[in-house]
Amino acid sequence: MSRLTEKHNLPGTLVCVEGIDGSGKSTQITLLRDWLKASGKDVIFTEWNSSDLISQTTKLAKKKNMLSPRTFSLLHAVDFADRFKQVIGPALKAGFIVLADRYAYTAFARDVARGVDPNWVRNVYSFAYQPDLALYFDIDPKTSMERICSNRTPKFYEAGMDLKLSNDPYESYIIFQSRVIKEYQKMVDEFGLIKLNANDSIHSKQIEIRRLLKEVLSAKGENI
Amino acid sequence: MKKFKKKHKYEGLLVVIEGTDGSGKSTQLELLKRSLQAQSYGVMVSEWKTSRLIANVIDDAKERNLLNATTYSLLYAADFVDRLENQIIPALQSGFIVLLDRYYYTALARDVVRGQNIEWVKNLYECAPEPDLIFYLDMPVDVLLKRIIGTTGLNYYESGRDVGFSTDFYKSFEIYQNKCLEQYNKMKKEYNFKSIDGTKSIEEIHEIMQGEVQKILDSGVLY
Repeated sequence: MSRLTEKHNLPGTLVCVEGIDGSGKSTQITLLRDWLKASGKDVIFTEWNSSDLISQTTKLAKKKNMLSPRTFSLLHAVDFADRFKQVIGPALKAGFIVLADRYAYTAFARDVARGVDPNWVRNVYSFAYQPDLALYFDIDPKTSMERICSNRTPKFYEAGMDLKLSNDPYESYIIFQSRVIKEYQKMVDEFGLIKLNANDSIHSKQIEIRRLLKEVLSAKGENI
Repeated sequence: MKKFKKKHKYEGLLVVIEGTDGSGKSTQLELLKRSLQAQSYGVMVSEWKTSRLIANVIDDAKERNLLNATTYSLLYAADFVDRLENQIIPALQSGFIVLLDRYYYTALARDVVRGQNIEWVKNLYECAPEPDLIFYLDMPVDVLLKRIIGTTGLNYYESGRDVGFSTDFYKSFEIYQNKCLEQYNKMKKEYNFKSIDGTKSIEEIHEIMQGEVQKILDSGVLY
């Protein structure tokens, strides 16, 4: 039923990084991108909530705290679908390596942590291709908070304040992100996400990631 | 008289008017609203694609031709869910008669014509409560064409130009609306539409609708 559970058989290669904020995934995917480009590969990078079509609306709605869990979910799906149809799909057909900073799994983790039905949101994203490599950066919520909130308070939605878990944004952040992590943990088995320890050094993680990608590429008969 | 059994768990009554573009839905909705208000019922009206959150995003995206079939479906679903949660359900909970110009049947028809899998679309709207009464204004395509050309004119999406049936506006409209009608015809039975001949006069149609709603109200359902 869902494309997310079957191989895509397109010429390109899809790599995504997942994990809560502050887990170091953006650093790693940037390093990966630079290396691939330097190696002469065709690479395209795409990130969560960045489509021309809707990302500004979503940001504005977030600012005004207008979003229910279901509309929150649908607006992010619009953003994803826009990038999927205009960027990810065409690039995979053209043989690119597509690097995605967050993928459908972000929706499965966050939306379900907000109380949205897991099957419902999986169906919404059933048009998405299965990544060739899906990396999950595992971090505890406290370290994540120390990294991203060293000089600001957690934002309304990232702290899950819409769920009224606590009036204290710091406390709410820990509770909410713990729920998100729990959802990610389940997906390690469900979708075969590869778990990396976010506390390892930048260098050792990058070595591991390059090794994993080389494996994927050589299985397709490509070398790097 | 046996009390009408509502199709959902809320206090109020949910009445939907469906039909293709130009079939006279908004005129009938207005008439129905007035006659019910005249009887002291609380009436709330909500139209398709009017959420404060998302409606102008859809208009803007359509104008700039930015939509593909999937984002088209998802944006309309987001608009609907926003109205559902902020207007429709609160009104139903408070015991209003909620009159809707289009419901998710519109999305089912249009999205399927645009090539989406029907089960995928149904899943998007799974949270929608079942209406107590669904009127469907049945109109032949040739009459529709005349009505629309004579009023708003043919527009890009109403003519299904985005689907690429034909580059000729007239031809494209004909194909697109016929395909939508096909979908509506399939749904008539599945969802128990009260189908009304849309070529009847405005007064005749209103009388039929009013009669159907009255039957339910007279059973004491809102007391």
